[in-house]
Amino acid sequence: MSALPMNALPWAVCAWLFAIGLYGASTSRNYLHLIGCLSACQSSTYVLLLAIGYRRGGAAPVFHDHPPGTPVVDPVMQALALTDIVVGAAVTALLLAMAIQVFKRRGAIDPQRLRPMQPPK
Amino acid sequence: MSELAGRLLPLVVAAPLAVAAIMLATAHLLPPKVPDVIAIATAAAVAGLCGWLAVVASGIGPAGQWFGGWTPVGGIRLGILFVGDPASATMAGLCAVVVALSTLFAWGFFDEVHAHFHVLMLLFLAAMVGFCLTQDLFNLFVWFELMSVAAYALTAYKLAASSLEGALNFTVVNSFASIAMLAGVGLLYARAGQLDMTAMGQALARDGRDPLVAGGFCLVATALLTKAAVVPFQAWLADAHGVAPSPVSVVFSAVMVPLGLFGLAKLDWLVFAHCEIVQSILRDLLLPLGCATAVTGGLMAWLQRHLKRLLGFSTVAHMGVVLIGLTSRETVGAAGFLAYATGHAMVKGALFMVAGVLLSLRSSNDELVLRGKGAGLGPTGWLMAAAGLLLAGAPLGVMHAGDSLVGHAGEIVLPVWAEAAIVLGGALTGGAVLRAAGRIFLGLGAAPGLEVESPTEPEREKATRPLWLMLLPCALLLLADFWPASWAEHASLAAAVASGRLPAAVSPPELPPLISGLVSTVLALSFAAVALGRARWPRWLRRGGEAAAAMVRPLRDLHSGLVGDYLSWTAVGMAALVVAALLA
Repeated sequence: MSALPMNALPWAVCAWLFAIGLYGASTSRNYLHLIGCLSACQSSTYVLLLAIGYRRGGAAPVFHDHPPGTPVVDPVMQALALTDIVVGAAVTALLLAMAIQVFKRRGAIDPQRLRPMQPPK
Repeated sequence: MSELAGRLLPLVVAAPLAVAAIMLATAHLLPPKVPDVIAIATAAAVAGLCGWLAVVASGIGPAGQWFGGWTPVGGIRLGILFVGDPASATMAGLCAVVVALSTLFAWGFFDEVHAHFHVLMLLFLAAMVGFCLTQDLFNLFVWFELMSVAAYALTAYKLAASSLEGALNFTVVNSFASIAMLAGVGLLYARAGQLDMTAMGQALARDGRDPLVAGGFCLVATALLTKAAVVPFQAWLADAHGVAPSPVSVVFSAVMVPLGLFGLAKLDWLVFAHCEIVQSILRDLLLPLGCATAVTGGLMAWLQRHLKRLLGFSTVAHMGVVLIGLTSRETVGAAGFLAYATGHAMVKGALFMVAGVLLSLRSSNDELVLRGKGAGLGPTGWLMAAAGLLLAGAPLGVMHAGDSLVGHAGEIVLPVWAEAAIVLGGALTGGAVLRAAGRIFLGLGAAPGLEVESPTEPEREKATRPLWLMLLPCALLLLADFWPASWAEHASLAAAVASGRLPAAVSPPELPPLISGLVSTVLALSFAAVALGRARWPRWLRRGGEAAAAMVRPLRDLHSGLVGDYLSWTAVGMAALVVAALLA
C-alpha cells in the first residue's frame, strides 16, 4: 500500500508540465511545436508515476546484488513509466511523420493557415 | 468446459496479433486477394470464439485466465486477468463481426501496398478485443493506446492532404486523452495499490469520498469520454470519420467509439461502484451531458451535406443516448446501454457502407452533388431508407430494444427532458439520413443552385468490386438488427446482471411499449419531408426556417477544424468534471 511522499515538489512539477503542455498545444501555430508540447504533457505522467512509486530510502528494484526484503521503490510504477515512454515515442514518431506529409502536400504546418476540413483559400 | 474456455480466452487476442505479424513479414510473397481472405477468416474465427465464450459464460459462468500463471497469492493480485463475462464477450464478438464485414466490404480495395491495411485492421481488432476482456486497469490503457495508434494510421491511410489533416486532429486530441488516462491510472494506483479492477474496487470502497480517487476518475473519464465523442469532447470525430476510408469509418463508428463508453461502464461496475463522488458525477453531470450530446449531434448531423460527416455527427448523437443508459445504476439502464450500442453498431455500420458505395460508384459524398444520381444502384436506396428509419427510433429490432430499456432506466422512467433529448436527437439524425436518401435516390428537393459548386477536394474511392459484394455485408449488418426486440431485451438484461454484478431486476420488467420511438420516427419523416419540399413552403415558414438556421450557426462555427480549439474544449470538459467532483 503506497503512502504519498511528503515532498510536494514532484507533484508541483507534474502539474506544471501538464498545464504548460496543454496550454502550448492549444495555442500552437506550428505542428512541430504542438507535438513538442504534447511530449511535455506526456513527461508530466512520467514524473507522476515515478513520484507515486518513490519510497524514501528505497533502492532500485533489482535483487541481483542485495537480498530480498531490502526496501525498494515500487517496481510496478517503473514498469508503467517504461511502457508509457515506448508508447509515447511511437505516437510522437507517427505525429511527426504525418506533419512531414502535410508539409509536403500543403507547404505549411500552421494549423491556423491550414484550416483542416475547410476549403483551401 | 469452463476450463477449456479459459484456455482459449487468450487466443481471441493472440490470433489476430500473430496473423498480423506473419502477414506483415510475408506480404510481398502473397498474391493479391489472399490477405483479404486471411484477414476475413481470422476476424470471423475471433467472432465465433467470442460468441461461444458469451454462450458459455451465460450458461456456466464467465471464463477467466491469468496470463503467465500469475495467479493471486494471499489476496495480492499482481498478474493480468482476462474475463469473458457475457457483456464483454459479446462486445468483443461485435467488434470482430464488424471488422470481418468491413474487410469483406473493402474486398480488393487496398491491394497495392504489402497488405498494410489488413495488418492494421487485425491489430485494431486485437486491441479492441483486449480492451473488452481485460480486468487490469493498466492493461486497459495499453489496449486503449494500441487501438488509438492503429486508428490513427488507418485514418491517414490515403495520405491525401485532407485525410492527413483530419488524422492529425484525431491523433493530437486522442493522444492528449491517453496522457490523461495514464495520469488517472497512476492516481488510482496510488490509493488502491493494485491494478486489478476487482481488487481496486474493494480497496476504493473503504473511503467513498476520497478526493484522490475522484481526481483519478476525472482524468480516466476524460480519456474515455473523448474516445466516445461526448460533448464537449466530440469535435475530432466528424473530422476523422469524414476523411478515413469508408471501411475504416464503419469500424470507427460501429465499435471503436462505443467502446469508450463500454470501458467507462466497466470501470463504473467494477471499480467505482462504491465511490459516492463518482456516482454523483455520473448522475448529476453525465446524464445532462448525454442529453446535450444527443441534441448537439442531431443538430450538427442535420446541418451537414457531406454524407460521412453527417453520419459521424449522428454517431455523436447516439453516443449521447448510450451515455444516458450508462449513467443509471439500474440493471435496466446497463442492459439498455448494451442493446443500444449493439443495435447502433449494426445500423451505423450499414449506413457507412452505403456512403462507401456512393463514393466508389458515384464518386462523391456530397448530398447536393449526388441529387438524383442514386438510380441504378439497386437496393442501396432501400437499405439507406430502412437504416434511416431505424436510426430515428422505429419500433423494431435491437436498437429499439435498447431505446426502450434506456427509456425505463430511471426509477420508473427517465426525466421528461432526457426523454425529449433522446427523441429529438434520434429524429434529427434519422431525418437527416432520410432527407439525404430522398434527395440522392429519388431526386427530391429543389435543384441545387450555386452551392453545388463546392470548393471541397474531389473525393472518390476505387470501384474494385461489384455492387452486390459491397451490398452483401451492408445488408447482413442491417438484417442483424432485426432480432426480435423482446429477445434482445432479455439477453441484454441477463448479460448486464451477469457482467455488471448488478442486482437482478426485482420483477422481470414487463416494459410498457414506449411511444417515443413512434414519435421520433414520425418527427424524422416530417423533418425530411419539410426539408425536401422547401421550395413549396409558404413565405412565413421559409423565414422561420432561416431564423432557425441562423440560431444554430454558432454551433457549427464551434466545430472550427482547429486542433487548438478542440484541445481547449477538452480542457473545458475536464474542468466540468472537476467542478462536478468538488460539488458532489
